[in-house]
Amino acid sequence: MALQSIWTGTITFSLVAIPVRLVKAVRPDRISFRMLHAKDYSPLIRAFYCPDEDRMVPPGEIVRGYEVGPEQYIEVTEDELDSVSPERSRTIEIMDFVDVSDVDPLYYDRPYYLAPGRGGEKAYGLLVQVMLRTNRGGIAKFVLGEREHLVLLRVSGAALSLVTLHYSDEVVPAAETVPEEKEEGGVEEEKDRMARTIRRMEARFDPARYRDDRRRKIMALLGRKEEVEAPVEAPTSFEDTQEGPGDLVAVLQESVRKLKGVR
Amino acid sequence: MVSRALWKGQIHFGDFDVPVKLHTAVREQRIQFHLLHSRDHVRLRQHMLCAYEKVPVPREEQVRGFEVGEGRYIIVDDDELERLEPEGNRTIEIHDFVRGGQIDPLYFDRVYYLAPDVMLRGYRALAEALGETGMEGICTWTMRKRSYLGSLAAKGKAMRLITLRHADEVIDAGSLDLPVTGLSDRELEAGVNLVTALSAPFQPEKFKNDHQKKLRELIDRKAAGEKISILRPRQRRATPPDRLLETLEASLKKAV
Amino acid sequence: MKRIAARIGERVVSLSNLDKDLYPSYGFTKADVLEYYRRISPCILPHLRDRALTLKRYPDGIGGDHFFEKRCPAHRPGWVETANIPQSGGEEMTVCLVNGLHTLMWVENLASLELHVPLARVSTPGIPDSMVFDLDPGEGADVIDCGHIALALRDILGDLGLECFVKTSGKKGLHVYVPLNREETTFDDTRRFSKTLAQVLERSYPQKVTSVMAKDARKGRVFINWSQNGPSNTTVCVYSLRARESPTVSLPLAWGEIERLTRQADPGEFQFIHSDALQRAERDGDLFSGLLELRQTLPGF
Repeated sequence: MALQSIWTGTITFSLVAIPVRLVKAVRPDRISFRMLHAKDYSPLIRAFYCPDEDRMVPPGEIVRGYEVGPEQYIEVTEDELDSVSPERSRTIEIMDFVDVSDVDPLYYDRPYYLAPGRGGEKAYGLLVQVMLRTNRGGIAKFVLGEREHLVLLRVSGAALSLVTLHYSDEVVPAAETVPEEKEEGGVEEEKDRMARTIRRMEARFDPARYRDDRRRKIMALLGRKEEVEAPVEAPTSFEDTQEGPGDLVAVLQESVRKLKGVR
Repeated sequence: MVSRALWKGQIHFGDFDVPVKLHTAVREQRIQFHLLHSRDHVRLRQHMLCAYEKVPVPREEQVRGFEVGEGRYIIVDDDELERLEPEGNRTIEIHDFVRGGQIDPLYFDRVYYLAPDVMLRGYRALAEALGETGMEGICTWTMRKRSYLGSLAAKGKAMRLITLRHADEVIDAGSLDLPVTGLSDRELEAGVNLVTALSAPFQPEKFKNDHQKKLRELIDRKAAGEKISILRPRQRRATPPDRLLETLEASLKKAV
Repeated sequence: MKRIAARIGERVVSLSNLDKDLYPSYGFTKADVLEYYRRISPCILPHLRDRALTLKRYPDGIGGDHFFEKRCPAHRPGWVETANIPQSGGEEMTVCLVNGLHTLMWVENLASLELHVPLARVSTPGIPDSMVFDLDPGEGADVIDCGHIALALRDILGDLGLECFVKTSGKKGLHVYVPLNREETTFDDTRRFSKTLAQVLERSYPQKVTSVMAKDARKGRVFINWSQNGPSNTTVCVYSLRARESPTVSLPLAWGEIERLTRQADPGEFQFIHSDALQRAERDGDLFSGLLELRQTLPGF
């Protein structure tokens, strides 16, 4: 769970600049399986493989390409990507502060946390306090890799979170799916009965109450299996199974012979 | 154009059943890059390789292990996992209703629009009841052999279902180990005034993805054989803590 | 979250959730875990010193999820000593060095119940300070069988003029360590030696011993895991707690005690918990101190 920085840069609004680190706010699934080779339980690694050269390609030899025709690509480098809007690739510039309750959850995409960078602790603390008091969040754009994200900066717990937002043209208008009202008569009475049930079922939101059943079942399965079968062990390096040096074997065998025997 | 429904089922709570259809609420349009080998621009494929011998291992020779100790694994096969998958009964079961706005957005995963299925009455009544009470329904359901946790809410006459992350998928803000900083009343007041001065209504249409267009242009220029000049991003100097108040006040003067 | 600031020497360690029960079926809170490690620190710290720590964290206690963490968490206080060690991909990884009580307390505040360390120090990555035989009973075998094998190992090694030390794994097995502390001895040497010895024993006692990991081969036998002698392998540190139902400890034992317990043949007697460890440490000091001091040479190397 090491909170590794995904990106480092600066939040700015007007003349204020706050150094920050972007870190993960969610981890998808903590049951992590490792793929192993069925033959000897050697661990497998996901790697890029060049079919033409029949070998693994080290990270230094991988580049990004845009497909312009069949098997035809234009290579685009990191530096070139940064050059598209250099001012946004190290800066999260807040353009507007908005009432966070005005941002429809429909726009929310992926959440992250922002942690203060060196020297930015005080200004970071101030922004958190001010956002809490005003119920406001900051709308900004910033570039991460090949994408420019529209983001909302807001407070989660005592931290700043950054949620990437969908652009408005990515959101399907609701009218596409809910048919316009047809004459079907009033639903007053049914609505009232539902509202009564809803009020009766009111609770506080406590995410820990809704356990992930799938996870729980997998953990239970693993527990059962660990009880009845010894875990397999992966070899720790690629080694042949040859004999040790002859003289060492002889010396050790001699020692073993002297033993009274293992009970 | 009406999108095709992804899934159909019925919302259940108390003695009510409301049949609904799920539709996507978001369609992403993004420029897609591929990964190439730098030497010959051959498109690379991901493979599973033996960590030691660095040779590809075919699918049928791969097994899934759960690490129970350094380098020790319990092997779990597909059948065993398959048997754990829930049987779907097409019911979105509401367990509780909570006041709207209580859920930290860090829990939000995907949003689906709900459309009425078969008949409109129940749907309209539920949307109105949720609107009137200001509540959201916390529900679970099984879709395509996976169980989901979600929140059902009304927006105007329509209802939506947001899938929620489970509690242990969301990292606690406490693990950031944030330092406690002392702030003076004057600093806070200046901060509040500045943020208020810089506030505007949220208008998503205002923000266009022009970056995408610029990226497209860059690709076209490269395709035409042009050389791209590299622009280096600059890092802004941090506002020094002892000049925070001064900077806030100067910003405020600029804003009004 | 409840936090308190604890002063340790000149440093302040922030501790949280102290009343969280980390061993629920036994009843042992995070405060108890911290107290155990504080009291055992004179014995455990020399064995952790300058070694890349692998954390095994149980934020929700035994029964909850756990994870291994080799990287030193990024959100660490500035005084935590770290080292950068190269990884196979050519990248570097920052690891924690538990070189003082404050770091030990910080690591335990992260609920890292088990502490795992490699055989080499970060300054000399290819040079193991010792050689280890991890004796692991397969299905149908138990710690008593491990006791017999451990005693056999002691006799064979003794015959070659090598002194060795033994500790419980805190789970089902035993760990036999041979101190080396010589710059000339590499992992290649210890792997070759330990593997050969395991194979010779396997050939002499095929019904009792196996040197291979395959599950089937381990049935009813003791697996002598020689392959722990690698630069990237880690073994649970002596005096570390284990994540079992009760807070057991990987505890050093005198050879005389191994003889006695093996004769008694009651596997339960091989289980030691936190209080046993503290009592013994007070009475006997660190039975493993020789591991860090004794310089020995493997024959033929």
